[in-house]
Amino acid sequence: MVTGGTLLTQLLNGVSVGMVYVLLAAGLSIIFGVMDVINFAHGEFYALGAYLAVGIAAALGGVTGGFWIALVAAPLIVGVLGGLTERVTIRPLYGRNPLYHILLTFGLVLVIADGIEIIWGTQPKNFAPPALLSGPITIAGFQYSLYNYFVIAVGGLIALGTWLALTETRVGIIIRGGAQDRGMVRNLGIDIDRYYTLVFAFGCVLAAFAGIVLGAKQEVALGMGNAIIIPAFVVVVLGGLGSFRGAVVGGLAIGIVQTLTQTYVPALTGVIVYLLMVGILLVKPQGLFGNPEWQNQGGEEGDLLTGGGGGILDSSTRRYLAAAVVGVLALVPLGIGVVYSSYLPNSLVLNVLVWALFALSLDFVMGYAGLVSLGHVLFYGVGAYVTVMMTLYVTPVFWVGLLGGVALALAVAWFVGYLSIRVSGVYFAMITLGFAQLAYNLVTKFDVTGGSDGLYTGYDATYGFGLGEVGQVSLLGDIQLFYYVVLALVVGSYLVARQMMRAPFGSVLQAIRESEDRAEFLGYDTVAYKRRAFMVSGGLAGLAGGLATINSFGVGPSFLFWLKSGEVIVMTLLGGMGTLYGPMLGAGAFLGLKEILLTFGESTPGLLGEVLSQWQGILGLIFVVFVIYVPEGLVSLPETLQARFGAGGGGGGSEPATEPTDPEVSD
Amino acid sequence: MSSDGGTDGRATDGRVDRRDVLKAAGVAGVAGLSGCLSDIGGGGGGGTLTYGLLNPISGSYSSLGPFQRHGAELAIQHLNESDDFEYEIEIARGDTETGASTATQAASQLVEQDGANYIMGAISSSVGLALNSFAAENEVIYNPGAAAIPITGASCNEYVFRSETNTAQIAEGAAVWTLENLGSDVWFHIADYAYGQSVLREWRSRMEDADAEFNEVGVSRADLGAQNYESYISEIQNSDADVLVVGSTGGDFVRFGNQAASAGLGEDIDIMNTTASFQSLRAGLGTAGYGIYSGVRYNASLTTGWNEQFVDAYTSEYPDDGAPGNFARVGYDSVRMTAMGIQEAGTTDPTEVKDALAGLETNSVLGDNMYRECDQQAMNPVWVGQNVEPDEGEVADVELIEKFSGGDAIPSCESTECSL
Repeated sequence: MVTGGTLLTQLLNGVSVGMVYVLLAAGLSIIFGVMDVINFAHGEFYALGAYLAVGIAAALGGVTGGFWIALVAAPLIVGVLGGLTERVTIRPLYGRNPLYHILLTFGLVLVIADGIEIIWGTQPKNFAPPALLSGPITIAGFQYSLYNYFVIAVGGLIALGTWLALTETRVGIIIRGGAQDRGMVRNLGIDIDRYYTLVFAFGCVLAAFAGIVLGAKQEVALGMGNAIIIPAFVVVVLGGLGSFRGAVVGGLAIGIVQTLTQTYVPALTGVIVYLLMVGILLVKPQGLFGNPEWQNQGGEEGDLLTGGGGGILDSSTRRYLAAAVVGVLALVPLGIGVVYSSYLPNSLVLNVLVWALFALSLDFVMGYAGLVSLGHVLFYGVGAYVTVMMTLYVTPVFWVGLLGGVALALAVAWFVGYLSIRVSGVYFAMITLGFAQLAYNLVTKFDVTGGSDGLYTGYDATYGFGLGEVGQVSLLGDIQLFYYVVLALVVGSYLVARQMMRAPFGSVLQAIRESEDRAEFLGYDTVAYKRRAFMVSGGLAGLAGGLATINSFGVGPSFLFWLKSGEVIVMTLLGGMGTLYGPMLGAGAFLGLKEILLTFGESTPGLLGEVLSQWQGILGLIFVVFVIYVPEGLVSLPETLQARFGAGGGGGGSEPATEPTDPEVSD
Repeated sequence: MSSDGGTDGRATDGRVDRRDVLKAAGVAGVAGLSGCLSDIGGGGGGGTLTYGLLNPISGSYSSLGPFQRHGAELAIQHLNESDDFEYEIEIARGDTETGASTATQAASQLVEQDGANYIMGAISSSVGLALNSFAAENEVIYNPGAAAIPITGASCNEYVFRSETNTAQIAEGAAVWTLENLGSDVWFHIADYAYGQSVLREWRSRMEDADAEFNEVGVSRADLGAQNYESYISEIQNSDADVLVVGSTGGDFVRFGNQAASAGLGEDIDIMNTTASFQSLRAGLGTAGYGIYSGVRYNASLTTGWNEQFVDAYTSEYPDDGAPGNFARVGYDSVRMTAMGIQEAGTTDPTEVKDALAGLETNSVLGDNMYRECDQQAMNPVWVGQNVEPDEGEVADVELIEKFSGGDAIPSCESTECSL
């Protein structure tokens, strides 16, 4: 029964939530529209604002007006920090493919989040609204939260102020001009770079303000940044990247839709937002207000830098090296009890192998076809879930489950690819993210997938043929059969992938990555090739997911969490895209380094130990450095070092061309 | 912390299994990588055992994990100092990262690398369930810190001994009390995941079976991790309910509570939550927490069992933590109750201790206790309490209203789905 009062209340609820989204999305949108930077770290600046406000209010003790002072001071501080971040980390990336900004800012997420944890600890903070604004207020018989009115009013004022600043002031006009044509503005004698810092800083100010306003209403705790960044992206995508109007309309719309769905169509809660996101990207990728006011028309898109090509080893040496690596991996279990415990091969190295396969799958599309998938965890998760569900409900034979997982992952990849590949670049990344989030939300809603608890009981997969349970069968002592199964599958997948890349299929993919238009003019159906690559990639990721379920004793929603997509991208870039083995190396480096940091962090006392234990932040920092200075990844290091310090420094390394050792380019 | 020499003689039989071989081989870890290995080698049989403390130190429950760990560490310290306990306990630590996959990997490390044959920890139910399976597969005794019913219900196994009070026990005590004392027109609001659903199920069924009048006005379900609850709060305010039972915890409840206070919900109806007495929730809510009722698992002011000794030792050992809360209590009780089983069995071998520990009468922080034989769930008493304005500071104090004994609060063996 919907009464007028109820509807009004829910609408106001939606608008107040929406206002916060507007503040967040406006900052994100402006930054993208002007600078072509997709700021994944926006959520962390939002969190930083809230935490700083708590700190300021606490430092001011019981001084009346502490809230208001914090409300003004904290965003300014965050703005300064944002500006510094831009100068140091983002500026070196101008001119590169915008997707590097996503990667860089993702690294910043890890750094800032861990920084917040080190400074403020893990306990949630209470940040109460001032007494002036707390409690409900009754206007003409209609009772509603006073603080919400405040949020709506203040949010609206700031949005209006921002709009006026950008359209009416000189600074605003310069910024808009710079977005349209950077070079020309520079030729007019204006140092446009300084204005970029200003824009980024301003975006962070808006985010921080949103954090304070919302933090007083909800909570100030670790993870608040992560919780808000995905909805913020949805708003920006819906409204149109780079459109301020879009951010306002999108923010309010999402806020109202979310609130009304919660009340009237609860079954759709959580998924409606991602359905909208995917829908808009399929129908009108530029968003509701496409042709945004400040969209960069020039399209200075850089290439995705790959680690392939050149290198200091010739092909036969490389082959020996590869064989040696596989040999060493095969021998690792023999050291159990002698050099290390069974934890190392059966848990750690196994985990590395599975992630290496996952990273390999991503490189297939990212490094070769140039498709950056932010939602690759979808296939990993699908593979895992199907494997476990088939084992539980159909037959306990592991191979059947794995096959089912791979098959469904292939199917999902075909479906997602079919819908999404016509869209390119940033929008493709966003669609994949949307699909992954849809799956993550859906899986918690049904009992057959274990709901939010997952499926962790009774998962006893067997090898069949009377060999026994997977993970329990040992060849000798603690040496497990499963280790060799995984090793064989991972090496096999690499060989299959490499073979595909050496075939004409791979050459066409690389041609597409270098210039899709040119490949099209040559007569290739680029969309079909990309779809095929995406399918194979999805299948491989599904295999990785299925294998991962053994050591986890099952599967749960965390197998579909978006942060995993980020981690696998980090590994891929860290190792070096476009080489197939590079990302696998990256997986080993990432997880190995994590293990080292954790171990040393635990055994080192004091502050240093605490800092070391924040392995995510340290890895994030390393990742940021790599994105800026070593974008071609670890595999490119020997070459770079040799060029720098080796014989005749001036010789210069070879250019990152495609593999010259395989000259057969057909057609 | 002493570590035995390389050879050891098993008191009971001369059989040497692979675990002994591993330990005797003096596992050294990958060269230079592993720092904290002073407790490797030796181990097993004879006088020492290794307890693995596997807590959420990072991830969404990172604010709660340290308390659990501190409680367990304190218990181990007491046991090592005590003359009544004849064994030496060494500690190995791991981080679940509030995720099942990372937890099982960390557990593997504790068992295979650090030689742990007892594990305590986890708060999230999916992590707890995964570790249940891990414990059974690896034949190590596991004390879960998660409160989900299936852990000693449908997913129980003979290696799992739980000292944490589960959702059914809270409901058994508090549900009917709510009907009798707060009102009969009830609205349920839950976070739509396993915990919230179990609260709804357990409270609703007991209210329906009760003699007191019960009228279910409505149910609202929010996604786990939802940020905004105002639509639900408005619905509840516009209904005829005079009691609201909230089945959510952690950040979800803090956000809900803050928003409810802002809308003035507590002025219209009484709010009952299953975990509002938790320290972290009271701290997160501040003044918004005043007046909320809750099922209480533990309070530092209790005079039961080991509690006074526990509180004194905890506050002096961990002064930054403040008074111990439920998670610390669970850590402490888990280790000490299990230790009584080890003492009783006369061996540190989990395969024998598990038989001795089930049904053994022990003490605990909450008074006389035991891990019940049919499901190995500790028979903890529960209370109903209310958060009240404190004498100083902002964080609410907890006032205990009524107690339900361990025997009264635990559901019957037949009603659990556990068959041991």
